[in-house]
Amino acid sequence: MIQFLAPLVILAEEAAVEESGGIDLLLPETSELIAGFIAFSIIFVFVWKWVLPAADQALAARQEAITGKLTQAEGAKQEAESLLNDYKEQLARAKGEANEIVDDARQTADALRADLVGKAEAEADSIRGKAREDAAAEKDRAAGQIRDEVASLSLELAQKVVAGSVDESAQRTLVDRYIDDLGSLEP
Amino acid sequence: MAADQRIDGYAAAIVEVAKAEGELARVGDELFRIARAFESSSELRDALTDPRLPTELKKGVVDDLLGSRASALSVSLVNFVVSVGMSSELPAIADRLAERAAAERNKVIAEVRTAIELDDETVDRLTTSLSRATGKDVEIKTVVDPSVVGGVVAKVGDVVIDGSLSHRMQEIQKTLTRR
Repeated sequence: MIQFLAPLVILAEEAAVEESGGIDLLLPETSELIAGFIAFSIIFVFVWKWVLPAADQALAARQEAITGKLTQAEGAKQEAESLLNDYKEQLARAKGEANEIVDDARQTADALRADLVGKAEAEADSIRGKAREDAAAEKDRAAGQIRDEVASLSLELAQKVVAGSVDESAQRTLVDRYIDDLGSLEP
Repeated sequence: MAADQRIDGYAAAIVEVAKAEGELARVGDELFRIARAFESSSELRDALTDPRLPTELKKGVVDDLLGSRASALSVSLVNFVVSVGMSSELPAIADRLAERAAAERNKVIAEVRTAIELDDETVDRLTTSLSRATGKDVEIKTVVDPSVVGGVVAKVGDVVIDGSLSHRMQEIQKTLTRR
């Protein structure tokens, strides 16, 4: 459009130069003004009609996009904060659970240790008791053996002494006493 | 059971022979004493029961030992037992013979062990006392046994009446060892 109007402007300028002088040289020619006005109007209408709406539309779209992005960013931020809070809660819960697990483990270990110590002490007591019983039984057995041995030796010695000391007369007396004792027996 | 029946059979046979000869009491008494000697003398026991020694040699031993101490019938009967290979059962046969001989007279045998030889008067008193104590008419067979030490051990059937010093000492030993 401008290229199409340019030769008209040049022709109008040439005619104005030829026809005027002085201050008129500084003022544009009427035709030039008209042409300029028309050109300006056309450009203005063009700009008003297509460029501005397109620019508005582009700006609106841009604004909307920015707003959307901001909203999205806000959402993402909130989501991030929510996630952060969740993580913190989970972390706190995990710490609590970890502490509980550690406490449970400590309690279990304490109970297990106490149980093992108790069992070991009971077993040690049992072994000590058994050893005492065995020692006492062995002592009794040895004492019994010695007693039996002493009794056996005493009897052997007594038999020899008695056999040597029981003379004919004593033998007769023992037989007579036996016969007398038979009298007290019932058939 | 078979051995017991054989012992009983030999005892019955000897009883019949002794009865026929009219020497049952004597033979019963002598065989009882021979049996006790057999029990107490390991040398006599070994000589009569050794399977490697011939029977004739065993009979010679019997003749040498008993020839002058027992009746000819008793020696013959012992030789008979030895010749049939029943030497080891001689005490059992003699005991069964004594029981049968006593039973013939309606008596039971009382085996009396003492450390000394008993006189006839003492044997009579013992017979009376044992008969009264057991309620049976007993016939005493005495055995001199030094292990008795003193006193008397009487056995009538399964009943033992022990009044020996060795028994009392054993009782004392039991008391000592029980403590």
